[in-house]
Amino acid sequence: MNVFITDGTSEGFYTAVFNAYRKKDAVITSRRDMQLSFDTTAQNVETDADKALRVRTKLDKIDRFAAGDIDLALRSNDSLKEQAAFEYIKLLVEKGRPVRRMLSLPAVIEMTEIIHRVKGEIHNMKGFLRFMESDSGVMYAPYSPDNDITDLIAPHFKARMGAQKFVIHDIKRKKAALCDGKSWFMAEVGDAEIYLSEYEKAFEKLWKKYYASVNIKERPHEKQMKGYMPVRYWKFLPEKNNPSTD
Amino acid sequence: MLDATTLQILTESAKYDVSCSSSGSKRANREGGLGNASVGGICHSFTPDGRCISLLKILMSNECLYDCEYCPNRRSADVKRARITPEDICNLTINFYKRNYIEGLFLSSAVFDSPNRTMELLTETVMRLRKVYNFNGYIHLKGIPYADETLVMKAARYVDRMSYNIELPSEKSLKLLAPQKTKDSLIQPMKKLQSALIYDKENKIKRDRVIPAGQTTQMIVGASPESDGHILRLTEYLYRNIGLKRVYYSSYIPVVKSDLLPSDPAGLLREHRLYQADWLIRFYGFDVNELCGEGENLDADYDPKCAWALKNMHLFPVEINKAPLEMLLRVPGIGARSAYKIVNARRFASLDFDNLAKMRIVLKRARHFITCKGKFYGSEANAARAQLLIDEKSSSDGGQENEQLSLFSTPSEALSALTGEL
Repeated sequence: MNVFITDGTSEGFYTAVFNAYRKKDAVITSRRDMQLSFDTTAQNVETDADKALRVRTKLDKIDRFAAGDIDLALRSNDSLKEQAAFEYIKLLVEKGRPVRRMLSLPAVIEMTEIIHRVKGEIHNMKGFLRFMESDSGVMYAPYSPDNDITDLIAPHFKARMGAQKFVIHDIKRKKAALCDGKSWFMAEVGDAEIYLSEYEKAFEKLWKKYYASVNIKERPHEKQMKGYMPVRYWKFLPEKNNPSTD
Repeated sequence: MLDATTLQILTESAKYDVSCSSSGSKRANREGGLGNASVGGICHSFTPDGRCISLLKILMSNECLYDCEYCPNRRSADVKRARITPEDICNLTINFYKRNYIEGLFLSSAVFDSPNRTMELLTETVMRLRKVYNFNGYIHLKGIPYADETLVMKAARYVDRMSYNIELPSEKSLKLLAPQKTKDSLIQPMKKLQSALIYDKENKIKRDRVIPAGQTTQMIVGASPESDGHILRLTEYLYRNIGLKRVYYSSYIPVVKSDLLPSDPAGLLREHRLYQADWLIRFYGFDVNELCGEGENLDADYDPKCAWALKNMHLFPVEINKAPLEMLLRVPGIGARSAYKIVNARRFASLDFDNLAKMRIVLKRARHFITCKGKFYGSEANAARAQLLIDEKSSSDGGQENEQLSLFSTPSEALSALTGEL
C-alpha cells in the first residue's frame, strides 16, 4: 500500500491526487496517526500549486461542480474523507462525465454521505448556534462543530444580522468568523475573553423559562429530542445548562 | 422588561398549538434591519417532548371572552391570567432573535375585550415589529374569528403566515364544544386571505405581499366523535380547495374536566396515523378515498400506505428497475428520498437487491412489494402480512415514536433533507 499524507489543505489534497493517480494501492489521508502495516510505504506530500492546478483543471472540464462537492467533503471530520474524494475523482475520470446521480456506485454513495453529513451540520448550526451579547454590543457565539464549517455558516448570519457586529468562534479549530457589521472575514482566534452586557443574563433566564414552559409534560419523548438535537451540541445551548427549575 | 411569570403563563397557554414551522417565506433583510426568513425553515431547539422550537410561541393575553369547553383558557376556567403589551412582545422577539434562539414570532391571543380590539392590538404588534424595529424575521399570526376583515387584511401584509384554527372537525362538535365559533367564522376569513394571496401572486406584487408563506390550521383529534375518514376529507378539502399549506392534528389531552369531553387522552398513535395519511395525500399522490372510507378510522396495526398496499396486492410486486416514480412512491417503506435515489441510479445501471441495501434504502417492508431484476425477496401475502405486523409493532415502541414526520415535497428538497424544515 502506498500512503500519501497531505497537510490537510485542499491544495495538498489535489497535489496528492496528482502524485498518487497512477500508483497502485494508493491511499490519501491527512491523518498522521494512521496505522501502517508492514508492506506500507508512506510519504509526505509536498504541496505543489502547479500539480494541484492541473488536477483541478482536468476535474473542472469533466464536471464543473465536482470541486465544490470535494471542498465540502474535505471539511468533514470523517477520517476517510480524502480517500473518498480520491475515489470519486478516479470515477469521474473513468466515466468522463458527472457521476453525482449514479447513486448505486460505492464511490458516489460514500461521497454523497460525507457531503450529506457536512451539509446537515451546516443546517443544524444555523439553528443551534447561540449568541451572547458582550458589553460592547458585539454578539459572540462559541461552538465546536464536528466539521470545519464556520466560513460556510457565516454568510447566513451576515445576511440576517444586518448591521450587527458578531463573532462565530470555532473553539476546537481555533478560528473565527468576524463581522464588523459591513463585511466578514475568517481569522485565527485562540481564547476569547468576553464581558457580557448587563441584559444578557436576564434574556438568557427568560429563554430558559420559555424553554421549560413550552414543553408538554404529558407527552415525553426524550429520544426524539436527542435524535434531532445531539447531546454533544448541548454544551453551548443555555436552555440545556442549569435549566429553569421553577 | 417582561417578568418570568407572565412569560410562563402566556407560553403555557400557547403551547398546545402544534404549528411549529418557519418555512415558506424568503423575506429578505431590509437595509439596516434585523433578520430574514429562510425558505426551508430552521429549528432552533428541541424540547423533551420531542417537538422543535422554531418560533417564539406566545399569547398576547389568555383572558378570554369565550367559553370553549376544551380550552384551558376558557372564560369560566380558574387559571392565572396575564397580558403583555405590544412593546414587550417586540422587545422579547428582537432580543431572542439576536441571540439566535428563535426564527421569529408566532403570536396568538385569547379574545379579550372584543374580537376587533384583540385583532387591533395583534396588528399593532406586528406593524411595530416591522416598522419601528425593522424586523424581517418570520412572523406567524393567529387570526381572530369575527374580527373586522379590513383589520385582518392589514395585518396580513406584515406577516409571513396566518392561521385560523378549526379545532373541531365538524359543525356539530363546534356547536357543542365551542358555541361562540361557527364554521363560517373560520372558513370565510381563510377564503378571503387565500384570494388576496392569489391576487398578489398573479399580479406579481413584491413589496408587502399578503402572507407569502400561506395559511395553516389545526384540529383536535379525539375530543369529538368524528372518524379519521371524516377528518381526512376535511383536510383534503382544505388543501385542494382553500390552498392551505399544512393541517396540524393535535391529539386530545384532557386538561379540562367536563361532562362533554372524554376523560381519556386520544393517544398519539391516532395522531401519528393521521399525519402519515396527510403526507400521502400531499406528497405521494394518494386520494383520500384510497386510504380511508368516510366513516372509517385508519388501521391502527399498519401505516396507511401499508394498509392500502395490502388491500391492493394485485398491483404488486413492482419491478424496481421499471416501475414509474408514482408507483415507487406507493411501495410501503419507500419514501420520497429513496424513490428519488432509485429513479436516478437506475438510469445508469440496473439495480439488484444488494445495490438497494448499499444505497441505504430500507427494505424491511419494501421487500414484500418489489422485485429486483425480476427476483422477489419477500414473503407471500399472508406471511408478509404477519411479518409486517411484527415489524410495525417493534418499530413503533408502544406509540412512542408517533410524532410528526418530516418528509419532503420534491426530490431537491429531499436531497437537502433535514428534519422539521417544512
